[in-house]
Amino acid sequence: MNSSAHVTLALRKFSPRFLKVATFVVAACVLATAQSLPQVHLDAAGLAPRSIEELTGTTIARHYALAWRDMAGALESGRAEGLGEEFTGFAKDRLVRRIGDQNQVGVHVRIVDHGHQLKAVFYSSDGSAMQLLDQAQLEIQTFDGNKLIDTQNVPREYMVLMTPGADRWYVRDLEEVPAKTF
Amino acid sequence: MQRISYCDFALGECLAGLALLCVLPGWAGAAELRVPTTVEAGQSFSIPAEGSGQAIFYLLGPDHIVKRSVTLGSDLAIQSSDVRTAGRYQVILCASSCSSATFQVKAAPPAHLSFFLRPSRVPVSTPQSIDATAFVFDQYSNLVLTPTAVDFRITPATGSGFSRPTSAQHGVAWMRMDSTPHEGQVQVTAVSGNTEEARVIQQVAAEACGLRMKAIASGNEVTLETDPVRDCSGNALPDGTVVSFTKVDREGKSTVDTPIKKGVARVQFSIHGPAQISVACGVVLGNEVTLNGKL
Repeated sequence: MNSSAHVTLALRKFSPRFLKVATFVVAACVLATAQSLPQVHLDAAGLAPRSIEELTGTTIARHYALAWRDMAGALESGRAEGLGEEFTGFAKDRLVRRIGDQNQVGVHVRIVDHGHQLKAVFYSSDGSAMQLLDQAQLEIQTFDGNKLIDTQNVPREYMVLMTPGADRWYVRDLEEVPAKTF
Repeated sequence: MQRISYCDFALGECLAGLALLCVLPGWAGAAELRVPTTVEAGQSFSIPAEGSGQAIFYLLGPDHIVKRSVTLGSDLAIQSSDVRTAGRYQVILCASSCSSATFQVKAAPPAHLSFFLRPSRVPVSTPQSIDATAFVFDQYSNLVLTPTAVDFRITPATGSGFSRPTSAQHGVAWMRMDSTPHEGQVQVTAVSGNTEEARVIQQVAAEACGLRMKAIASGNEVTLETDPVRDCSGNALPDGTVVSFTKVDREGKSTVDTPIKKGVARVQFSIHGPAQISVACGVVLGNEVTLNGKL
């Protein structure tokens, strides 16, 4: 990874019992580099059945940003090799298939990422899965060969399932959902 | 129905395309797309393609892309295999210019539950100690995001079963419950429609309750033996659970840890002068006995 990210954590409300964090926002910000990370804000207010630890929130925001950077790179370049760094399970399988199809038909996609507002909606009590809603600002350009055939520039919502690995959180499921699903 | 038209060509290219239309019979005019707003995963459907002539049709989904030449004026068939993955799909039709539209593929009815029950062993009668989480998927492994009834059915080793009906929100249903009073296997089955998944949790005795020992003196030796060690619900603590006997006499303090065998713990001490012996198991203290050794 050539890019570096600056991760900041703003704790808006922090109870004396550390684990009972009611609201906090994690911002994974960007240093302007060629492969910069998109901006990701995580809101974990009212998360159930388990509250989120500060380090977990920071890690999730960072790896979600890395996942979007890697996905955008793979969809544009047609190279799926790096997806395993941040994706696993269904999300990885589907992306790999999609990129394979893209290469077969000569289509590729460029994503101009203007940032993500992540809202954590479920965190399993054993800490093995977290479900989040992402409200993303994306500009998606579709090319057939070098010819631009479509541009979409509307807010998008994604349902995200992330699970922890040895040293990171992986995106296990990523599904675009209709606006105001949550 | 959703209708989105889009032309991404520069003006010059559009004009060139229009000019081409005039000279190339069979080449399409502006194509319009009418797509359904929502489609269920794995359901085939068709998109009417207005106009005439040839065009290139693209379908871009989360895990699949279709590109083919089509003849405008006829329906564009979308196969069930093209829309198995839930999410947003984009349709682009390019003739002299491109039109695009999007539609949503929603998960099919629940067909599979991914069910986690934790922990695998739990002491009896422990508040909020059992967690069950079920993820609801359709036959294509799409998370079913529409609210879905999920019933957690609990079958204890003894006594009657009960259920905890819940509703999956965004594809996830969960519940937390107390462990039941009796040791043994407890089966928890997550049920949604015709789909069910069962998991088993082993309930074990909780901490010892009313721990008592008796002493049988024989010369300078004393044999200490507990009553059958049980928890407050009457469940026998498993063999191997460690019981600690502590003796304080003229020679000082000594502790012997011994496992429960056949329900009781037994140990033998030599005692020197007046001695006090206590027994404990985990965090539970039992009774004390006072003896007078002859050494």
